[in-house]
Amino acid sequence: MRLSKFLFKGGTNFPGKIALKLDKNILKTVANNYEVILITGTNGKTTTTSMIYSIIKDSNKPVITNNTGANMYTGIVACFISNYSFKKSAEKKIAVIEVDEANVKFITEYISPKIITITNLFRDQLDRYGEVYTTLKKILEGVEKTPASTLVLNGDESLLGNLNLKNDIVYYGFGTKVHENKIVDINADAKFCTVCKAPYEYNFITYNHLGDFYCTECGYKRPTLTYSVDKIVDLNTNGSTVHINNKEYYINQPGTYNIYNALCAYSVARALGIQDNIIEHALKNVASSFGRQETLNIEGKEIKIILVKNPAGYDEAVNTINLDTRKINLSLLLNDNYADGKDVSWIWDVNFERLTSLNINKIMISGIRLYDMAIRLKVAGFQSDSFLLCKDEEALLNEIKTCDGEIVYILATYTAMINLRKFLHTKGYIDKIW
Amino acid sequence: MEINICHLYPDLLNVYGDVGNILILKHRAELRSIKVNIVNVSMGDVFKAEDYDIVFFGGGQDYEQAIVSPDLIKFKKSAIEDYIQSGKVFLAICGGYQLLGKYYTTPDGEKLEGLGILDIYTEGGDKRFIGNTIIHNEAFDETYVGFENHSGRTYINDLKPLGTVKVGYGNNGEDGNEGCIYKNTFCTYFHGSLLSKNPELADRILTLALNNKYNEVALTSLDDSLEIKAKEFIINREASK
Repeated sequence: MRLSKFLFKGGTNFPGKIALKLDKNILKTVANNYEVILITGTNGKTTTTSMIYSIIKDSNKPVITNNTGANMYTGIVACFISNYSFKKSAEKKIAVIEVDEANVKFITEYISPKIITITNLFRDQLDRYGEVYTTLKKILEGVEKTPASTLVLNGDESLLGNLNLKNDIVYYGFGTKVHENKIVDINADAKFCTVCKAPYEYNFITYNHLGDFYCTECGYKRPTLTYSVDKIVDLNTNGSTVHINNKEYYINQPGTYNIYNALCAYSVARALGIQDNIIEHALKNVASSFGRQETLNIEGKEIKIILVKNPAGYDEAVNTINLDTRKINLSLLLNDNYADGKDVSWIWDVNFERLTSLNINKIMISGIRLYDMAIRLKVAGFQSDSFLLCKDEEALLNEIKTCDGEIVYILATYTAMINLRKFLHTKGYIDKIW
Repeated sequence: MEINICHLYPDLLNVYGDVGNILILKHRAELRSIKVNIVNVSMGDVFKAEDYDIVFFGGGQDYEQAIVSPDLIKFKKSAIEDYIQSGKVFLAICGGYQLLGKYYTTPDGEKLEGLGILDIYTEGGDKRFIGNTIIHNEAFDETYVGFENHSGRTYINDLKPLGTVKVGYGNNGEDGNEGCIYKNTFCTYFHGSLLSKNPELADRILTLALNNKYNEVALTSLDDSLEIKAKEFIINREASK
């Protein structure tokens, strides 16, 4: 095994740290021969990055990407170094880079990306990032350094429609409703006008606070969409069929949030001049990113691992599971390490009550803060004497193996997901850790 | 029996899972066959003191808190003051706690007028106080755990604290106080949600509200083994750090 291979195993930031010690401007050098696309925002970064990467790859352009474990400054530096070649190629390559919201400004200090895309802004790990307005401010500090970058933004995200920036901006969003709901949930984020603080009205809401919003007080409304979902043909637990700019696409990852991810990837691809049929093929076949609706098989049972990290994402996972009419099993894993968020209060903002009407066989609860999760589910209306509290991955696996029913949904916070995947890897149920 | 819980500004002050406290109060009341009605009171609504048995006022982001502050003073100030002074039960967390006081200064220096019902005030600080917290209330001989996340430093003058800080920062990181109690108003910085790991406090609040309404009510005990384990986990882990 080559040293670099060893160093890079598992998405480590270590080589990036060393390189930055040797040359603090190294990013400028190693990223020199790339057109860079940055993907940031609270939810959907990893899936969107992987979709954009797949589309560009299918278009036969040379392209690299970073893995999700390396979306901080040092990890991104490491990604470029590991792909660095001393031989200059004539054609510029493309780098599709997922970046943590607070790290955008470190990247744009050295690189002027061709495109920056922002997926959405939800409350997320308040102990680390603070409030949605703080997160937005951090991203914009990075964007302001690079006025030549084109911004591809979610127009249904009201926080992104009123930006005082020099950049060219292209918006994407939903041109049609997903359901009849026009009333924003009492517990959603950013419901008050960023211009005048009055409550927004909606022609329709897609999920959380995203949708076709307008303010009756000051007239601020959703910007004009260049790329839009015009028709929902079908939504099921395997994927969605939709029309984007008058053409039908099958997205092989389920849920409204994945339609947004695909729409974002589509918009970036179109901005790069990639043709519709290439996009169509890629969206149909893109492999799920690890822990994002990743499907495994354990002794004949279908296992779906879904990463959950904040109320908006968790609610979307709950809504997707709600499409399943089979007898199901749930495994809920809650950790409170730094990467999960040390504060577990956010589980009280998740609508677990919606799961109580499903046909559920077993409820398995695990992770460092399993008792907090058990209390949340008890209050949501589940019978606590039926909970299977699993103290570690071994105990959880044993419960999974003896489940009745075809499917086990595993909803896990970041480090719980990583630890479980490592464990399942040692047991031979997962081939690749990253 | 029946109790009415008022949730103040649930659409604005809602970011830290504090709604869990209402879900928990409702759950614990219903297990005792007490009917619970939840009434949301927000922008432009009138607050009627006689309509509610418990009022909950949660925490929010600075942006939303700045929207709430003038509405509170314009539409609800005197009625909330009557409610609190008459000894009815009020639970305020973080932003709600701060707004019951005289004023609150944001980290950006914006001074938001509070209701001034409690003789307390809050100054913005540079460093946010973030982490698991453990306090002890001597009068009740109860230990409470929660998670604090605030930049405001609150000073409670002569009021009693909700507890003395064992682990964490508390009101201001200086005087060892966390939260405050005034008549039947309980204030704290604890998220978690607060009542999820402190069932004794949840029952104290329910009992006070029921006694106000029906006199001498004794609640039956519940199986709180999960709650106790969740609390013990925090105490054991934080104490061993």
